[in-house]
Amino acid sequence: MQTNQVIEVDGLRQRYGDFEAVAGVSFEVAEGELFALLGTNGAGKTTTLETLEGFRPAHGGRVRVLGSDPYRDRRTVRPFLGIMLQEAGFFADLTVADTVDQWRRFAGRGARGRDEVLDLVGLRDKAAVRTRQLSGGQKRRLDLALALLGRPRVLFLDEPTTGMDPEARHATWGIVRDLVADGTSVMLTTHYLEEAEHLADRLAIMHRGRVEVSGTVAEVVAGQGDRITFRVPDRLSVTGLPVLGGAAAEITVEGGRAVAGYRVRGDGLQPSLYELLRWADAHGLHLDGLQARSASLEDVFLTTATEGAVT
Amino acid sequence: MNLPNMLAVARLDLMLLWRNRTALFTVVGMPVLFAGMLALFKGEEAAGMDMALYTGTGYLAFFLVFAVFMNLVSVFTARREDLTLKRLRGGMLSDAEVLGGSVLVAGAFYLVQALVLLVLLGTALGGRFPANPLLMAAGLAAGTAVFALLAFALSGLTPNADMAQLTVVPIMFLSMAGSGVMFPLDGLPEAVQQAAGTLPLTPVVETIRTGYFGQDFTAASTPADVGFLDSWAACARSFAVFGVWLYLGIWSARRWFRWEPRHA
Repeated sequence: MQTNQVIEVDGLRQRYGDFEAVAGVSFEVAEGELFALLGTNGAGKTTTLETLEGFRPAHGGRVRVLGSDPYRDRRTVRPFLGIMLQEAGFFADLTVADTVDQWRRFAGRGARGRDEVLDLVGLRDKAAVRTRQLSGGQKRRLDLALALLGRPRVLFLDEPTTGMDPEARHATWGIVRDLVADGTSVMLTTHYLEEAEHLADRLAIMHRGRVEVSGTVAEVVAGQGDRITFRVPDRLSVTGLPVLGGAAAEITVEGGRAVAGYRVRGDGLQPSLYELLRWADAHGLHLDGLQARSASLEDVFLTTATEGAVT
Repeated sequence: MNLPNMLAVARLDLMLLWRNRTALFTVVGMPVLFAGMLALFKGEEAAGMDMALYTGTGYLAFFLVFAVFMNLVSVFTARREDLTLKRLRGGMLSDAEVLGGSVLVAGAFYLVQALVLLVLLGTALGGRFPANPLLMAAGLAAGTAVFALLAFALSGLTPNADMAQLTVVPIMFLSMAGSGVMFPLDGLPEAVQQAAGTLPLTPVVETIRTGYFGQDFTAASTPADVGFLDSWAACARSFAVFGVWLYLGIWSARRWFRWEPRHA
């Protein structure tokens, strides 16, 4: 067993009544790594995260955080964790400064100073404001501040930038990148694929309680294959279309015209495209609307969310 | 459980209570109102009892319902629904510290109220120093535990903070009426008197009065003088009732208390 895994999840199952929210999920997160969990609403991301945070015991499978059971050994594990929940309330009558001061008392010795942490998330000028008056994005930043108070070794971020404007989002990405550079291990869920592309060393896409794909962004995207599309020429039957890089054409109809689409894997775009152009030349065909592009994380995400398994 | 952590939660509770004037009134204003009403009974006697002292010792038990029961039901319901309970649980604190801190504050408020009322009874209303303060303290502590547990359970059945004003009413009214403080139960059918004796506030009233006056207040008839040891013996049944309610309280708190809203 590798010793540098801070999070180990093996066959995790969670159910609410008859509904199985997490149906056998396995992954590992290494020390100093940022691991992103993507998926549609209801895919089981938050349930998985809350199990790792020790809010509930696993119904099945095995979960370890820093080598311990996060639910049973919450007391030993928690001091090393920073948790930013997807949804948690603030005491509306307390100011930002009051809130941070209170949570510093809970964080024990070695907690970051109030000014330090407010500077970090850019809320210092809001210190005297009551939390009820903060915007959604400002609340998220205060959330992050509280999660960082205890200088966590493992940081859980459940949709950390929801409700933030683009500037605040980029600033938050900067903070997270710095933390990872300093050795913090981060597990993040997000709706923003851009966020995962920017930050994640590795990621997993969940759908209906299962991990459908996982790996580095490059690996995940590579498994998906590059895209070549063009309109099927009028006088050509779809059976006459070539096979490119081992992939047959998928026909869709757009605007009343048949469109041929290829997902080419393996060697990438160039040989397949060359093959296609040579074929078109040989048949004297003009390919309208010809497009060739590398797969994006969004392609993988959409395929996963609509079809389930990708490969 | 770690005491500094629990005290930190208690400190947070105090700050929040201070900034929420409605809650502050339930905890502080109600007892002041009740204590003021005692002035009306000053010097009056019925069946050989000083009515101000007799009623005052009953109010001592009532304060438990305001300071501990009603207060905690609304605190836990409101915090569950606004997800602050979940946030508190997402830090370094253990579950026991999160809940214990609030119980500590509620218990402390009750203790202060009880002491102030005892001083009032002993000075302005011409009362005495409690005959068996230890028995009184035991009754107060057991009562606090029972009503805190009932508050855990009831908060889980209360959909939101506004409804907390309503859901506390049945237990509050039944236990107050059944304790015999608001009106004497002597005229009621035997079965009803028996049933009233098993309500959770009744043993609180019995132990407080027996401990205060040094007379056996557990029987319905005229109370007889009891010594230190006899006063404990006289309250054996009261402590048995506490025992049953503690068991029921733990069972129902385990069953109904919720950390997170139902819809989440």
